Amino acid sequence: MAIFEKVSGILTMIELELRRLRHDRTELYTRAVQPILWIVIYGQVMSSVRAIPTSGVPYTDFITPGIMVQTAAFASIFYGLTIVWERESGILKKLLTTPASRYSVVIGRSMASGVRAVFQALIVLPVAVVIGVRLVPNPAYFVLAFIVIFLASGGFAAISILVASFMKTRERFMGIGQAIIMPLFFASNALYPIQMMPPILREFSAVNPLSYVVDATRGLLITGDVSNLLLDLVAIAIFDVVMFVIASISFKRIIE
Amino acid sequence: MDFAVHVVDLVKVYDGRVRALDGVSLDVRPGETFALLGPNGAGKTTLIRILTTQLKPTAGEAYVFGLDVVREASKVRRLIGYVPQEMSVWTDISGYENLLIYAKIFGVPRLGREKAIEEVLEVMDLTRVKDELVKNYSGGMIRKLEIACAMLVRPKIMFLDEPTIGLDPAARKIVWERLTAFKEEYGATIFFTTHYMDEADLYADEIAIINKGKVVACGKSEELKHSLGGEIITLEVKEMPLKPDLVQELRRSGLVKEVFEGENLSVLVSDAEPALPNLMGFLKSRGVSVGRASITKPTLDDVFLKYVGTRLEERGRASEVTRVRDMIRRGERDGHL
Ligand SMILES: Nc1ncnc2c1ncn2[C@@H]1O[C@H](COP(=O)(O)OP(=O)(O)OP(=O)(O)O)[C@@H](O)[C@H]1O
Ligand SMILES: [Mg+2]
Repeated sequence: MAIFEKVSGILTMIELELRRLRHDRTELYTRAVQPILWIVIYGQVMSSVRAIPTSGVPYTDFITPGIMVQTAAFASIFYGLTIVWERESGILKKLLTTPASRYSVVIGRSMASGVRAVFQALIVLPVAVVIGVRLVPNPAYFVLAFIVIFLASGGFAAISILVASFMKTRERFMGIGQAIIMPLFFASNALYPIQMMPPILREFSAVNPLSYVVDATRGLLITGDVSNLLLDLVAIAIFDVVMFVIASISFKRIIE
Repeated sequence: MDFAVHVVDLVKVYDGRVRALDGVSLDVRPGETFALLGPNGAGKTTLIRILTTQLKPTAGEAYVFGLDVVREASKVRRLIGYVPQEMSVWTDISGYENLLIYAKIFGVPRLGREKAIEEVLEVMDLTRVKDELVKNYSGGMIRKLEIACAMLVRPKIMFLDEPTIGLDPAARKIVWERLTAFKEEYGATIFFTTHYMDEADLYADEIAIINKGKVVACGKSEELKHSLGGEIITLEVKEMPLKPDLVQELRRSGLVKEVFEGENLSVLVSDAEPALPNLMGFLKSRGVSVGRASITKPTLDDVFLKYVGTRLEERGRASEVTRVRDMIRRGERDGHL
């Protein structure tokens, strides 16, 4: 029964997030502006320069999955702001006095953030298609790509809950959030192939979860090359489990 | 019999410096309404947070219905409903949705869930606004929704940290009527903190006064008042304020136990009937003309004054808490970037 309770706790947290989204989607739209600029302007300009070897794939197509993953990761990292607010108010105090275990609260909130992130990534896609990005015409790949984004975003949201349990103010939280995501983004394969990076960054990329997520989604959405998919999924699963456990352990201190 | 709350020598030290609780012991019987009164920083919230399993005590023991709040925390959580001092509902969903999410967190079975929610909405007069976003609620409506959340799961014991803060007197009265009815119906125990003296006086079966982390007085309202040992005589005196040496003389005369000066002259005596003529005689002989005299029992205010040394400043404080709550509520709206 314990397992059943945990799963239902997680589902409840996801339901909460969906209900919030239903009431107010402005944040979803405002956050979509930046990734669209990346794809439409940066993508098109770099594409015409042909400065980056992308093994035959048009550059705009090459970066679209990277930008989608980046925007999903951003949304997840800043999910911690919600948690910071919930700590300032009494919501977290109350949640921790309910029978819901802290694991299901942390995993549930992370997964809830993953749901938000999937919408965040999806919203960019029509724009990409309009400017000529061609997707692999395989619905199963398409669905799988978004499952990958969902799972990975959960891990990033767990990082953000972890940060929230240390950072007591919104401003500091914002700073740390940027400081985590930007390096991960630029030191990943989102904008250029790993082979182009200096050796030290190449090594970092091997432990950068973002690279695995981009690799998987790029294979599923653009190139159709899924030879690394299993490795990518294993990496993402490890990332998730590690982050969930660390975040859950630190969660109790969040209200002290 | 297990006490609903049983606390023994509880100590809580924050960050190795702040001694928020300094050896608190108290017992609450099942079905009782228990009020914790104390000035700001007395340790009321700290005690409630330990009893609701959020904080570990530094020393001492605490039990809720016989369950240790540290070692059996998860069992304790199934028995309690809790309203924190701060705001504790999601503001970007409706009141109904808040209740629905809490019902699911507590595992209220699908069958009957709807009915339970409608019922607490009705009890707290929120049916009309149940589908509106909570951010459009008034402060009082939010507090009622929070109490509804705590009632929803029909807890054996409710911990309410200043449940009526920010409510106007009429709303406070209604909330307490509903809480009392709820308590009667389900046999729940209520443990609450408050800054409103009258609330403790009217609705609590037992009152503990806590100051600087220590329980300084405990008992029924009547007992506490009685413990002051006497009655208050209030005299209308034209020559107020009295000359200081006259007050000194009065104190030393042995006629009274305590002199309170205000608009009128009030004194504490052990027995008013024999004391009154003597007192009048004393004042007349000193050339003080006395108007009407009245005899009253000590109030809870007087009790608080005696044990804590200051009066409770409820008004300024309530508005401050309301301000903070509003800030938090607005924060939600600017919070998402
Ligand atoms: N998380 C905390 N960390 C450090 N000190 C704390 C913490 N919470 C409370 N304190 C301190 O402990 C003491 C008791 O605080 P507590 O909140 O329990 O008082 P209270 O009686 O509820 O006061 P109020 O009427 O203002 O709500 C205060 O000195 C307070 O500053
Ligand atoms: Mg308090």
